[in-house]
Amino acid sequence: MRSEQEINRAIERYSDTVRRLCMIHLKSYADTEDIFQTVFLKYALSSVHFESEEHEKAWIIRVTINACKDLFKSFFRSRTTSLETLIDQPAPMNPDHREVLEAVLSLPPKYRDVIYLHYYEGYSAPEIGKIVGRNVNTIYTLLARSRQMLREKLGGEADA
Amino acid sequence: MRDKIAQAFDQVQAEEALKTSTREYIRRKTRGYTRTRQIPGYLRLVPVAACLVLAVLAGNWLYFTPTVEISIDINPSIELGVNRFDRVVTATGYNADGQALLDTLEVQNLDYNDAVEQIINSDTVAALLSGDGIVTIGVIGPDGEQTTRVLSDMEACTSRSENMHCYHADGDTAEEAHEMGLSCGKYRAYQQLLQVDPTVTPEQVANMTMREIWDRIQALSGTTAETAPVQSEYDDGTESHTAGKSEEQGHHGGEHGEQGYRHGGDED
Repeated sequence: MRSEQEINRAIERYSDTVRRLCMIHLKSYADTEDIFQTVFLKYALSSVHFESEEHEKAWIIRVTINACKDLFKSFFRSRTTSLETLIDQPAPMNPDHREVLEAVLSLPPKYRDVIYLHYYEGYSAPEIGKIVGRNVNTIYTLLARSRQMLREKLGGEADA
Repeated sequence: MRDKIAQAFDQVQAEEALKTSTREYIRRKTRGYTRTRQIPGYLRLVPVAACLVLAVLAGNWLYFTPTVEISIDINPSIELGVNRFDRVVTATGYNADGQALLDTLEVQNLDYNDAVEQIINSDTVAALLSGDGIVTIGVIGPDGEQTTRVLSDMEACTSRSENMHCYHADGDTAEEAHEMGLSCGKYRAYQQLLQVDPTVTPEQVANMTMREIWDRIQALSGTTAETAPVQSEYDDGTESHTAGKSEEQGHHGGEHGEQGYRHGGDED
């Protein structure tokens, strides 16, 4: 059990990351709320000792991805369809940004994580492999393909 | 493209309301940050499982602990352990004959009356009985309701034949007997024989029939018949002679014990 200060600090520090991961995976705001609760409750109750902030962040990312996947595994979810929009952003967005996000979200789910972790969080392929629990070569392949697909969609230069 | 993606993702930020509701949720779930750990569902079953295991163990103990032992000696020496529910839970042969006899019978979990009945009526024992063998049935157990009941049942059983005896012994006697590798009945006979023949060993006794042992006692103590009755007391004295009176009479009367004994024994 962690202290209130610790938990509030973690919420401040990691909620953006969690929010972005939710955006990648989920379609509704209610689900996002669910994931937030799951992830931070798990954090509050876990007794894992973190060696560094990097370790802690990687832990949060992994827990979030797993929680999102678990949500999709549930029976109820697999039988219902969300009517909500793709990106449920309250604030109006810059069209450029919107285009990029839509391009990312149009990729198959397995590419979205690596895109986010690589391009935004700046993790290297071996680090991503560790976080999502997959082979490094798989990650390289996923990155290469997603780069290809994004380039087609956005027409820009993909610099790794 | 890296910058574009980064900028686009930068736009996505956790709403304050989301953070607040998450904080509220965790405070509620941890009851103001006091709860230690969530107990996983399967761990809640541990006490239940422990109780079950205990109940099974206690049940086993209750059922499989003999409270009274019935020792049957002819030459086959057998001891039946009877539990508090009057069921036979152990059956031990104290010599080769006894073990062989038990191998042919299925007395486990029978009511002790049925078990004794089965043993007495088995071919081996019936042959021995008709061949002038002597059966002693011992009830070994602490003084109490069950011991008394078993003893009276055994008395009822032995009273049908003159060559059957019944006695009661306490746990100490039985323990001494088992240390020597003898059944309780043999041990008592051995103690008696020892008085008249100090050279006798428990091994010899183990392989003699009760008839042989008693014949030997009679033979050796024949001249001092009065001092060595057939069934002298070595234990707590709740001995009961439902049979063998003719032997004693014959024995007591005769100047030569063996002859007197034979005389008595031949009556049946």
